[in-house]
Parts: sequence; structure tokens; C-alpha cells
Amino acid sequence: MAPNEKMINKRGIAVSPGVIAGPALVLGVEDFRIPQRFVSVDAVSSEVARFEAALDAVCRDITENEEVARRQLGDQYGAIFAAHYQLIRDPKLIEEIETLIRDKCFSPEFASSRVLRKYAKEFQNLGSRYLAERATDLFDLEKRLLKQLLGERREELSHLTEPVVVLAHNLTPSETANLDRQFVHGFATEVGGRTSHTAILAGALEIPAVVGIGTFLSSVSGGELVIIDGNHGEVIIDPDEATLDRYRDAKARLHSVAERLLSLRPLTNETKDNVRVQIFGNIEFPDEVVHCTERGADGIGLYRTEFLYLEKNAEPTEEDHYSAYRQVVSAFADRPVVIRTLDLGADKVPASEEFSDLASENTVLGLRSIRLSLENLALFKTQLRAILRAGVHGDIRIMFPLISSLLELRQAKMILADVMEDLEEEGVAFRKDIPIGMMVEVPSAAMMASEFAREVDFFSIGTNDLIQYTLAADRSDPAVAQIYNAGDPSILRMIKMVVDAGLESEIPVTVCGQMSSDPKFLPLLIGIGLRQLSVTPHAIPALKEVVRSITLEEAERIAEQALSLDLARDVEHHLREELKKICPDLIL
Amino acid sequence: MTQPSVCRQRVVVNLDNGLHLVPCSQIARTSRRFSCDLRIVNGDTTADSKNVLDLMQLSAIKGTELDIEAVGDDAAEAIEELIALFDSNFDEP
Repeated sequence: MAPNEKMINKRGIAVSPGVIAGPALVLGVEDFRIPQRFVSVDAVSSEVARFEAALDAVCRDITENEEVARRQLGDQYGAIFAAHYQLIRDPKLIEEIETLIRDKCFSPEFASSRVLRKYAKEFQNLGSRYLAERATDLFDLEKRLLKQLLGERREELSHLTEPVVVLAHNLTPSETANLDRQFVHGFATEVGGRTSHTAILAGALEIPAVVGIGTFLSSVSGGELVIIDGNHGEVIIDPDEATLDRYRDAKARLHSVAERLLSLRPLTNETKDNVRVQIFGNIEFPDEVVHCTERGADGIGLYRTEFLYLEKNAEPTEEDHYSAYRQVVSAFADRPVVIRTLDLGADKVPASEEFSDLASENTVLGLRSIRLSLENLALFKTQLRAILRAGVHGDIRIMFPLISSLLELRQAKMILADVMEDLEEEGVAFRKDIPIGMMVEVPSAAMMASEFAREVDFFSIGTNDLIQYTLAADRSDPAVAQIYNAGDPSILRMIKMVVDAGLESEIPVTVCGQMSSDPKFLPLLIGIGLRQLSVTPHAIPALKEVVRSITLEEAERIAEQALSLDLARDVEHHLREELKKICPDLIL
Repeated sequence: MTQPSVCRQRVVVNLDNGLHLVPCSQIARTSRRFSCDLRIVNGDTTADSKNVLDLMQLSAIKGTELDIEAVGDDAAEAIEELIALFDSNFDEP
């Protein structure tokens, strides 16, 4: 086997916990998977011949491209392909690849990829940006060669037959949603932030994931053993034995803590002095209800319905909505299920193509979420009808996202009333007294919380967007990850304002968003008066342990101290230290 | 045996994007027509002039001074042809 002297260690943002080791499947720069890294000694000469045949075919392709380019675009474009031809015919390059096949029994695919990527990496370090970008030409040649070599054997992500960890430049939310959990045991991407949709989905799939690593795919060919540590945000390529041992230990330890936490399931979520704290689950897919029930969730505090829209390329029908909602609510006969209406940008909703021209580059501040629903009433009403109808089967509640003004809230409520009237006329059964809530995730809504509290039945604070908008830091941009911080004093004050407004009007307030899934924030949130959280299902057992280990008095003291601090850094440190005292083995 | 002829000549890269893939491939193609050993030197880095990947790694941006060295029977002729390539600025506008 190949020696491991080339262990590479990369750091990114941990977005879904757990540790996994497995062979790498590389996506992104190229879409090819190298199925086999080594060939048997007997096969070496036929493999070299296979490589040479592929090389000839690539050269023929390039020559054809050159002629077409010269004819249609001009000589200087043809010259690019002439350069590719020179490059791929380079005797030194060919010899290097063939030596790897002959002497090390590398498969032609693996050998070509290795050698071309080695040069691509050297190009990336060249003196000028323009020269460095020539690495792309080498990736192009790699792609051409692999395409020839693999031919029909090109494997797609959806046709996996053995366990892998996926390494990619980026995974779209729908790609992530469609990952085959049986075979994809973890993933790592070059881009993405803590609260990007891809990250949220990784949590939902409950597979270890690390995002925002930066450029690293050029050092991987595929097939290497890779460790993904979703607790610390580490990715280790070609680990040595000592490292592997360390990870096996860590995995065993995590497993035993998880077992112990799961044993808390039948116990009530209450503090040592019997203050009841409700912990709900956040879900994306109906199937995830199981993740919540098996961990003893008090209900569903946030059902994100976006994936009904993302999974297919067509707008979901009323029946699609209805059957998904019904599936969720049937699992929770007596406990609440909060359904959030569509929370996507115009660019992501097939039915809103007419609006996608309007979608500016910065969709975060553009026509999305409730704004899109209010512009596209047919789409909105379809969803509202299904929610109201499913409401007869259990405790379904409805929640509007991204509300930024009272006018918007009133419009949304008016349309809901219209839909109710339609259903009434049609004689269709629905829940007439459905509780109506809103997300508080735009700073304007937090500032006006007292006024809003008089017009809704509950609040849910969406910290992911609230942090992004308050601190003006894009949540998916690793470059501003330091600024995007749940511990920022401005965020704590904003949350407190909303909680106070809720208490004053006697409506329940929940915090959903990644912040509430982080055990260190829990004492603070309880201390400022929150009694409900909605979290990633896998976080429920750990949060339960924290709740059951503190008293209200302790939580209030921790909150008071946190609110007296000026810097996010100090708040984080304080909360971490306090958690260490309460539940030491939850500190990873 | 006659002493092999050795030639050396300095050139300056005048390409806006430096000695990138296309000019490198032109140098390599021209060089391969000669039997002499041909090297191009940029400070500490020496490249085999018949090899595109080697040439790219000279990392020669605009204004870089390069030394072309040739050892062998057709050295003088080879250098002359390479100088002609640099003089024509590789047919770039």
C-alpha cells in the first residue's frame, strides 16, 4: 500500500458532529470518481497500453478542438489547444505517469490524476496570478484523461455501492439532501459557513461535516483515506497510524457519552429546582421526526418547508404539502408542530422564475421568504391551505418568516384569513383557531417586539439571520466568520428585548437557530427568561443534561454576568467556563 | 572529437501575462527540433527548454531577464530561433 508520509491536516468550520474515517470521493473540480487506485502486477502492461490509448484519444480531441477554435475564433484561441497538446505530449509528464503505473502498480486514472495535480499545485504557487491560474489547464487535461479512461465507468454520486466520505468544492442544498446516507458517511467542502443551508442539512442527515476549509481539493485525487472530525472541524488526508489510533479512541469516547445522554430520554426537561424548559426539534424532512421522538423532544419548534420546493424541479402541489405535514403531525399526537412557511430566495423557487430576474445578487436583502410569498399569492395560498387542512390532525401552528414590519405581518394574516374563507366555502375541514406566530430575525422586528407581541400568538427568534443582519456579516462567508458571533453583546440584548416583550404580552418565545443548539448558551438563555428552545435533534440529549444540571438562580447569575460584558470574545469565554463547571464532558 | 559548441544569450520577457502556457509550448516545440541541450535560466531556476511544465515553473512575469543556454552541435542555430520567438513576442499583439 501507499506510504502515509503525506498526511495533510486541514481546518474548517465544524457544522455537524461526529468523527468518521473513509475513502475519499472527490467532487467539484472534476466530477469523476477514481474507482480503483491500484492494479495487480500482472495487469501493469495492459494498463500502460490502456493509458496510451486514452492519451491518443485525448490528443485527437485536442487537435479537433484546435482546428475548430482556429477556424471560428482565431489563431490565438487555437494556440491554447496547441499548448494543451504540447503539455499532454510532454515526454517527461508521460514518463512520470507510466513510471507510477509500472513501478507502483497505480491505476492509470490514479497515476494521471496524481501527476497532473502535483503540477497543478506547483503552478498555483507561481509568481503571478495569471500564471497560477494555468493550473486550470492542467485540471482540464486531467478531466479529459479521466473521461477517456473511465468511459462508461463514470460514477455518479447517486450510484454509490460502498461507503465514502465526500470532498467537494461546494455541495448545493439539494445535492446534500440527496446524499445517500447508506454510503456517504461524512463530507467536507471548500466553501460554506456555519449556518449555510448545506451545513444545516448535514446536521439533519446526522453525518459528520466540515465546511469552509478553503482550497484543498488539489491535494486529493480520490480514494485516499480521510478522517472527518465534525466536532473540531478537522479534515485529515492520508492519516498516519498514530493519528488513526487517536481517532478510534475519540470515536469510542463520543459513543459512550452519547449512550449515557440517550438514557436521559424518559426524564422531563426541567432544572434542578423544577423549572420546566421545553426543548423542541428543528427538522427539514418529515423522516426526521424519528430523530426527535427517539430523543424525547417536546415537539417540533421549526419545520423548515423549503425542501419541499428544492427536492423537485416543480412547485409542490397542495397534496405534496399536505402529506408531508400530516406525516410529521401524526408522529406527535399531542405535542406542537410549528410549520414555517416558505423561506427561500426567488432564485431557488421554480414557480417564481418570473421573479428571478428581479432577484438581485444579494438575495439575503432581496425578494425572499415572506416577501416572495406575498408577491406570489398562488404559491403562498397553496401552502397555507395544506397547513390549515393538516391542522385537524394535531397541534399544528403556523409561522411566518422574515417579518420586518407590522404591515407585512398584517398582509400575511389577511391572506391566511382569505384562505380560511375559501376552505369554509368549499366545505373542507381545517383548523380554525390555528395559532399564528412569527420569526423574529430582522432587527426591525426585534426593536418593535412589543407591538408585534400584541398581534401574534408566539415568537420564535431566528438567531442565524438575526446575527447576520445585526452585525452585517454574511453567514456563509468564512472571511467574516469572526464577526458573525452569537455571543456578541448586541445579540444578547436584542434577544432579551424580545423575551421581555413576550413576557409582557404573555406569549411564548422560542429561540431556534444554531445558537440554541450550543449547550454553552443554554444557561444564559434560561437566565434571561426563555423557557422554550428549538434545536437540531442531535443536540437534544446534551441540552437536556444541561437543563437538568442547573438551577434557575445559577442560570440567572450566569446571564447577568454575560450581559455585563462588552466583547463577544469575553461572553464566549465566560459561558464556556460556566459550562465546564456544570457539565464538563460536554466540552469537546 | 570536436569540442561541442556552447552558446548563451540573455532575453527579456515582454509578454503582458508573462511566459504563460502558450509561449512556453511554442518554446518547447521549437526546442525539440534541435539535438543540442537547451536550458533557460531565471536566477536559481533552470528549465529544460524542451519541456513545457519545466518552462512554466520559471515563473517568468513581464520584465524578467532569462538566460538561454545551449550545448551541442546545433547550439548557435537553436539559440537564434529562440531569440526570434522572443523578438516576435510570440506573435502576441
